[in-house]
Amino acid sequence: MTIAVLRFPGTNNENDILRALSSIEGANPVLVPSRKGLAGLEKADAIVIPGGFSYGDYLRAGAVASVETITEGVRDLAEDGKPIIGICNGFQILTEMGLLPGVLLPNKSARFVCKWVYLRVSGHSTVFTRGMEGSVIRLPIAHAEGNYHCDEDERESLNNEFRVPFRYCNEAGEVDIAHNPNGSIDNIAGIINQKGNILGLMPHPERASRQVLGSIDGITILENFVRAII
Amino acid sequence: MDLIQEGKVKRVLQDPDSAERVIIEFTDAVTAGDGAKKEEFSGKGNVATEMSHYLFGYLEGKGIDTHYVKKLSSNQLLCKKVTIFPVEVVCRNIAAGSFCRRYGTEKGTPFPEPLVEFFLKDDEYHDPLITADAIIRLGLAKRDELEFMKSVTLSTNYYLGEILKQRELILVDFKLEFGKTKKELIVLADELSPDSMRIWDSNTTSMDKDVFREDKGDLIGAYNKVFEEIKKAKPQDVEQRTESIQVIVEPKSGIKNPPGEVTKKALGRLGFAEVEEVRVGKVFVITLKRPLTTEILNHLAIMNLKLLSNPISETNKVRIE
Repeated sequence: MTIAVLRFPGTNNENDILRALSSIEGANPVLVPSRKGLAGLEKADAIVIPGGFSYGDYLRAGAVASVETITEGVRDLAEDGKPIIGICNGFQILTEMGLLPGVLLPNKSARFVCKWVYLRVSGHSTVFTRGMEGSVIRLPIAHAEGNYHCDEDERESLNNEFRVPFRYCNEAGEVDIAHNPNGSIDNIAGIINQKGNILGLMPHPERASRQVLGSIDGITILENFVRAII
Repeated sequence: MDLIQEGKVKRVLQDPDSAERVIIEFTDAVTAGDGAKKEEFSGKGNVATEMSHYLFGYLEGKGIDTHYVKKLSSNQLLCKKVTIFPVEVVCRNIAAGSFCRRYGTEKGTPFPEPLVEFFLKDDEYHDPLITADAIIRLGLAKRDELEFMKSVTLSTNYYLGEILKQRELILVDFKLEFGKTKKELIVLADELSPDSMRIWDSNTTSMDKDVFREDKGDLIGAYNKVFEEIKKAKPQDVEQRTESIQVIVEPKSGIKNPPGEVTKKALGRLGFAEVEEVRVGKVFVITLKRPLTTEILNHLAIMNLKLLSNPISETNKVRIE
C-alpha cells in the first residue's frame, strides 16, 4: 500500500516519517516532492503531510503550501475517504486547506515550544486510535503556532461529534490548563474531520516510534493509519 | 430615440438596441461660468466627439475602465449606461482657474505633486468645492469609492499628461466624472476634450476652453490643433505605470495576539506606560501592473479570502493610496 509522504519546500520531518512507516508491515511509504503536482499522488492510497516549515512559515504557517497544485490531489483522496495524517506543519496545512476546521495561532506564550507532553486519547474510537482509547500517551511537540482555535459552533460540533482524539494532559491523564502548552482551546492537540479519515495533530508520533527515542507511543497511531489502508 | 438627459453641451439618448447603453450626442455649444457665458461654435461637437473617442480608447488601452464603447457618428458616442456620481473630480498639476481665485495663487505655479479636488455637481450652488468627508456624510459616494476615483484620476493624469508631453503640450488640469454601471463597475464617464481640461503649449498659451472664457481668439482652431497634436503622439511609447495598494490584515478582536502582548510588555519596559494594547498584524504592499479597476478590487477580495488572510482569525481591508 503506497503512502505518499509529501515534501514541500521547507518540510523537514519527511525522513523521520519515512523511517517510522518503513518499520510497519504492509506500508510502502514514498517521498513525494510537492513540485510533482497531481502526478505525484497517482498511486497514493494514503497521505502523510509531515512537519517542518513549509515556505518558511511565511504569510501564515501552512498557508502557502495549502494552495499548491498538489493539494488538489490531496482533496480528491480526502473525498475518496483515503486516510490522511497531517503532523505539526502538516496539521497547519490541512486547516489552511479547509480539510480540517479551525486555525493554529501563535502559541499563547509567544515562544517556540519543544518538549515532551502527555496526551489523553479519547475514549471514543477513531481509525487512528484503535486500541489506545482512553489511554495516556507521551509524545514530543515542537512548534511556534500550535494554539488551536475555532469558533464556538465548530468547537461544539468537535466536542459533540467526538472529533478530538487527543488533548494535552498531565501524567495522570487529567486535562487541565496547567498542562496546556500553547493555549489551544479545550487543550486540543489533534482533531479529525467529520468523515473520520483525516487526522491533524501537533505532537509528533514519528518521534516516539522507537524505544531509543524515549517512547513508542506514537507508533500505534501510525500502525493504525497503515491498517486503515489495508 | 428617447432623451434621457439634456446637459449644457451634451445630450444623453437611450440606445434603442440596448437598455444598458446610451448615446451621447455632443452639441456645438460652449459654456463658461455655470452657463452665464454661452455660444455656439460650428464643429465643436465634432472635435469633442473625436477627441473623447480617441482618448477614451487610449485610456482603455492602458487599462482604465471607461464608459466608452464606440463612435457612432461625427457627434455621437455609444457608451455604457451609468449612474453618474454627483461629484466632479478635478486633478491639477499647475495652479489655474478657480484654484487661483480661491487662494490668490499666481496662475502657472506648478504643484510638487498632482492635487485631486472634488466639486459637488450642483448648478444652484455653483458647483462648490467639497471635502471627501462631506461627500461621504451626504451619502453621495462611499469612502472606498472616492479612494478608487482618486486613484483612477491620478492614473488618468499620468497617461494624459504623458501623451501631451510627447507633443510639447502641458496638461495643467482636468475634470473627470465617474459613473457606476448596472454591474456595479465604477468607470470613467462624461467626455475628454479641451472643454474639460486645460492644456498649454510650451509658451503657456491656452489651447482649451480658456480661449473662450478669456476671449483669446479662435476656439475651434485651438481645439483642432490639440487634437492634431495628440494624433501625432505615440501611445505605445507611453510607459505603463504600476499602481500600489495595500492590504492590511489584523487579528480579529477577541483573538489572542501573543506578538502584540510581548511588544506591549517591551514598550512598558521602555517606560511607555500609556500603551493599553498592541496588536500585531500584517501589511501587504501590492504593486499592480495596471490602473485600478473594479475587477481588480474584486480580485483583491478573492486574494484575501484564498490566501492573504485567514477569515477564522483575521480581518482584512484594502487601502488604496
